Amino acid sequence: MTKKTKITIDYSRCGDGNGIDPRECCKCLQTCAPAVFLLHQTLGAEEPDPFDPKKWRVTPQWPSLCTLCMNCVKNCPVNAIEVKQ
Amino acid sequence: MCDLCMKHGAGGKWYLNSKHYSDKIAEQYNLRDFLLEQYKNFEQVSMRKVHGFNAVGLDYRLRMPVIGRIMKNIAGNMLHSTKPPSDPFKPEGHIGQVVPLEDAIAILEECAAEPIIEKNCMCRYMSRGIKEACCINFGVMSEIISKLPRFIPEKDKFHLTRKEAVDRFTAHNKKGYIGTIWFGPFPYINNLCSCENPECAGIRPRFDFGIMSIHKAEYVIQLDHNRCDDCRACIQKCPFKAIEINPLNKNVKVNLDKCYGCGVCRHVCPQDALYLCPRDTIPEVRGRY
Repeated sequence: MTKKTKITIDYSRCGDGNGIDPRECCKCLQTCAPAVFLLHQTLGAEEPDPFDPKKWRVTPQWPSLCTLCMNCVKNCPVNAIEVKQ
Repeated sequence: MCDLCMKHGAGGKWYLNSKHYSDKIAEQYNLRDFLLEQYKNFEQVSMRKVHGFNAVGLDYRLRMPVIGRIMKNIAGNMLHSTKPPSDPFKPEGHIGQVVPLEDAIAILEECAAEPIIEKNCMCRYMSRGIKEACCINFGVMSEIISKLPRFIPEKDKFHLTRKEAVDRFTAHNKKGYIGTIWFGPFPYINNLCSCENPECAGIRPRFDFGIMSIHKAEYVIQLDHNRCDDCRACIQKCPFKAIEINPLNKNVKVNLDKCYGCGVCRHVCPQDALYLCPRDTIPEVRGRY
């Protein structure tokens, strides 16, 4: 079996109300050719249409499609993403 | 005819059966509350656990030999479910099909229930963080979207007439966006999307992982070799990488197995060499939806 790609995002620098708001940055989402990342509300969010930046984060949902181009790592303004194989 | 048409088409195509667009069905299943609950936190749906499996990193499990097959089956059954929808946090009965431009125009002109709106594509917002107005909604869905500000387009017009909706859809299709029609949830049709390949949350599971989340169109593309002058514009345009170069004689050829029948390649062909043919008339791909 091939090695698994592990993508980790440091939520103390991006999302969850810390550091930057992922809805305004979106650099990782837009530079990723196979669209590995997903922008979403955290599972606790219940109210309709949460504007609260604490309720939003980015998750690498499909790491198996990652091509290891490292564009997300290079473009992240707060260096929150780490990609390992 | 695909199995959806056999069961729900009343002798024709399932998406041209106007019964599925009626407000009566929406009231019968109480879809106003159900859809509002679902779309309030739509982005979460793909993060929730599926039958006890964590959705993050699910892709590696889908590629395992036995577990992957079981999980694909479970996911396929959930999407094809015909039971009354019960859990708004699961995409139950949310099955769709690729539609070419002609059929989409027929839907918008004949079937779609008023009011018709255009909203920001949620798949593109989830996967790219951009707000682009290109999904057309009908009926009950239109009323719900007006309560959720992040889906309302800022610059473009929100409520559309039938003719405007046709014009907007045609413009998206010519840009290369794939038209798709969706049950959401079964048996109510309320979505006519125009999306691209890696972004669309419905095409991705089928294209990359083989989950039956969307059916191929009732059509398949054919290439007239007498007209084709090998300019290769269609190869770049095809969102499913179904048009290839024949390695023997360097001509353009269509890989019918990969073709979803969306027909967007026709718009870039300067020679009009590409045309759609009903899938049932081509023995190679008959019955493979």
